[in-house]
Amino acid sequence: MRDDFFKKVKQLIPNVDYCSFRFVSKYTNVISVTRGITEPVKILEDDGVMITIFNAGGIGYGATSDLTEAGISDALERAMEWSTFSKDKVTYYPDVSPLKNHNGDYYTKEKESWAQISTKDKIDFLKNINQKLKCSSSISNWAASLRYNKIETFFMDSNDSHIRQRISYLLPQILVSAEYKKQTQTRTFGGHAHARQIGYDFLDDISFSEKSISLANEAIGLSRAPNCPDKKTKIVISPDQMILQIHESIGHPLELDRILGDERNYAGSSFVNLDMFGKYKYGSELLNITFDPTLPTELATYNFDDDATTASKEFLIKDGILLRPIGGFFSGQRANLDTVACSRASNWNRPTIDRMGNINLEPGNSSFDDLISSVEDGIYVETNNSWSIDDQRSKFQFGCEKGTLIKDGKLTSIVKNPNYRGITQDFWQNLIKVGNDDTRKTLGTANCGKGEPNQSIFVGHSTPSCVFNNVEVFGGIK
Amino acid sequence: MKDYFFSISKILFRLIEDKDLLILNFDAEIGDYIRFNHSKIRQVGNVKQITLTLDFIRKKTTISSTMRLNGDLKKDTKLVENALNFLKRELSDLPSDPYLMYAKERNSTEKLTVSESINNKNITERIIESFSNLDMVGILSSGYIYRGFANSLGQTNWHENQSFNFDWSIYTKSGKAVKQNYSDLTWQQNIFEQILNEGKQKLIALENTEIKLQPNDYKVYLSPHALNEIIDMLCWGGFSYKAHKIGTSPLHLMSKGEFRLHNTVHISENLANGINPNFHRDGFIKPIDTELIVKGDYKKSLISPRSGQEYSIQHNGAEYHETPVAINMKAGKIKHDEILKTLSDGIYISNLWYLNFSDRNKARITGLTRFGCFKVKDGEYLGPINTMRFDETIYNILGENLIGLTNNQQLMMDCSTYEERSTFSSCLPGALVDGFKMTL
Repeated sequence: MRDDFFKKVKQLIPNVDYCSFRFVSKYTNVISVTRGITEPVKILEDDGVMITIFNAGGIGYGATSDLTEAGISDALERAMEWSTFSKDKVTYYPDVSPLKNHNGDYYTKEKESWAQISTKDKIDFLKNINQKLKCSSSISNWAASLRYNKIETFFMDSNDSHIRQRISYLLPQILVSAEYKKQTQTRTFGGHAHARQIGYDFLDDISFSEKSISLANEAIGLSRAPNCPDKKTKIVISPDQMILQIHESIGHPLELDRILGDERNYAGSSFVNLDMFGKYKYGSELLNITFDPTLPTELATYNFDDDATTASKEFLIKDGILLRPIGGFFSGQRANLDTVACSRASNWNRPTIDRMGNINLEPGNSSFDDLISSVEDGIYVETNNSWSIDDQRSKFQFGCEKGTLIKDGKLTSIVKNPNYRGITQDFWQNLIKVGNDDTRKTLGTANCGKGEPNQSIFVGHSTPSCVFNNVEVFGGIK
Repeated sequence: MKDYFFSISKILFRLIEDKDLLILNFDAEIGDYIRFNHSKIRQVGNVKQITLTLDFIRKKTTISSTMRLNGDLKKDTKLVENALNFLKRELSDLPSDPYLMYAKERNSTEKLTVSESINNKNITERIIESFSNLDMVGILSSGYIYRGFANSLGQTNWHENQSFNFDWSIYTKSGKAVKQNYSDLTWQQNIFEQILNEGKQKLIALENTEIKLQPNDYKVYLSPHALNEIIDMLCWGGFSYKAHKIGTSPLHLMSKGEFRLHNTVHISENLANGINPNFHRDGFIKPIDTELIVKGDYKKSLISPRSGQEYSIQHNGAEYHETPVAINMKAGKIKHDEILKTLSDGIYISNLWYLNFSDRNKARITGLTRFGCFKVKDGEYLGPINTMRFDETIYNILGENLIGLTNNQQLMMDCSTYEERSTFSSCLPGALVDGFKMTL
């Protein structure tokens, strides 16, 4: 959309306490090759605007894909209608006086851009991976795909703010299943969590194609492997499982709108309450969690959130102590707590809510060899494939694609269906080793669900491997 | 909206040569989302979105483009023409698709559900008034939903309704809650009040002291909502023909005859309630009823046209992911209004939450209790329970350990609103189950 269009729209901003226009333009391209066959190539383009009004004790929004002048005026009218109707009927009416003018931009840097590579070349690349995946008659399913997303946002408000951001990300995926005696085991490329703000050259950097052979062999091995044993033991967790552990048992419970009760009918609330900030011992002193929108290439790196708050790195948990929630400007005002720039919306058709951005576990000092050699008897688990946690984010159970037993400080045999369960408040106290920067991986998931109406958004997690004591692990049905 | 879609279709079809085919799918909604917390409005607004998907086919090659439209014919004509021209250019580089399949016969249909206009502001006033002394949190999604299909062979299909879905929870001061839902085509205050009063009665029982359960096997009653969560897990490939062929279906051992469910279990995909459109995105008309499990045995899978081509088998109009959209489970014989008496001593589970597989091969599922779950003793509510995790295989829940199903079915309209309002639904009884394994 051109600047003259925005200038025209700006004239529509009404005389109210506060008004914002958030234009979103999304482009998605999905290319998949499944069992050797190219699936229909998909292109999705999605443009619309969200208009938000706060006025005289009432709130309302109007969102539309109709970007004609009449369409935008109509959405503005709907927003005004609801803000008038909701006067004195709202849970919370914000003090908008602290909101200031913000100007700036942000653009993902793609070294080799998606558009530079032809669709045919991308298909050929995925076909080649498919050939490598189907390396044995016991491979029952195999697929590789590339998803590219480009999200351009233009924000303006009654404080004369102008923010333009363009986030583009690439999500490469591999899936391979092997069947043996009616037992099917599946390996994926990092649990589909390798989404990054990065160019096409990323695929070479992560040896995407080469990984296909080892993943296929691992799936075959797992289909013949014994079940994970049932016991309480030490567990070493790889980054592609750590991200789920962080996401579900730290990220979600720290979301301030959950703590304030907004999500109680759907995503749930939290065992964390407002009094815990600044004093609650969330985990061992090795636990350092940051909200970091500054890490280059991480999925939710940006300069502003969707309510125009300037983004900066902040510690949420430092040396095990809970410091700050994942709450945006408005939630922070409701709770009278320090906040982060996490007010985000999945698209133009949804209002902003508190979301994770990049929620990272800061690296420690241990090499991968140190982590494994520190375990006399335990298990190393990789790649999430099952996740479940209660509505307070306390009782969790996770499953992984692959387990490797550890004996006397050495990785030994693989086991299938490794699951573990625990209670968040105890689990993080048992964090006994944190891997160094060499063990760290920057990953991201494209689909984090929350909110009413529902919203699915991309979030980043960067984490090293970690060791936990005293964890209940178990396998599948014997 | 219908005239607008078919006008756009005509414009595009004029640009198609005889050797080519164009398939159009139309998804739109205009409505309001009113979100509540503490019985007041938390967020509120109106959303208008129009989406058109073009599938362009030349010989055996296809490419797809989805775009948002303005709803302004003049402006959108240029947009869709540009999109079509782009697809024509891109197609030349693509390989042919051996599994491409689309309807070649013309089967035009139209379903317009006419109902009284829904006044969302009036409903919101009534809701706020009704919950004035309660701590309610939830969402009212209300307005028009449109689905359309057209292809250049001359087939047209249309599905439209105006409906609402109010989904809410009422909380006690101790943090326990009852979850309820009222969804329909017209708002009837007396029906809403009846549902709300039932919720208030349960809320009284929730005020009792919490009973802390320990991990163990329990006799439980799974309400239709709780059972729906379990059945929903089976929809993750359980009824998919493709998933069975590649070995990733959680019910693949059942389809191979190694396991079976209780012989009172009958599950089908049933579109008779008309909530979901009866036309497939490639133009096929879906059968009204597809039996999936009969008398506890796996009978049939949902087969998409694409799987039909891949595995040389007749498809049954399932969409790409072969997931049920309107699952129906036959009622049993246990009198639902005597369920507490029949349960006698056990756990009454109103809702389950956050389910996932802990051993997909053996259909073992984990998840948690949530909202309005009670310990029952001598046929009476004793008190609410703490949140408990279960880990149990479907072959126990609906197989060896199933005592029986209730004699009523409850229609549940999916309140999911990811991207757009869902048109999925399910119709299920409650289930009485013995030896239900709670693990944490």
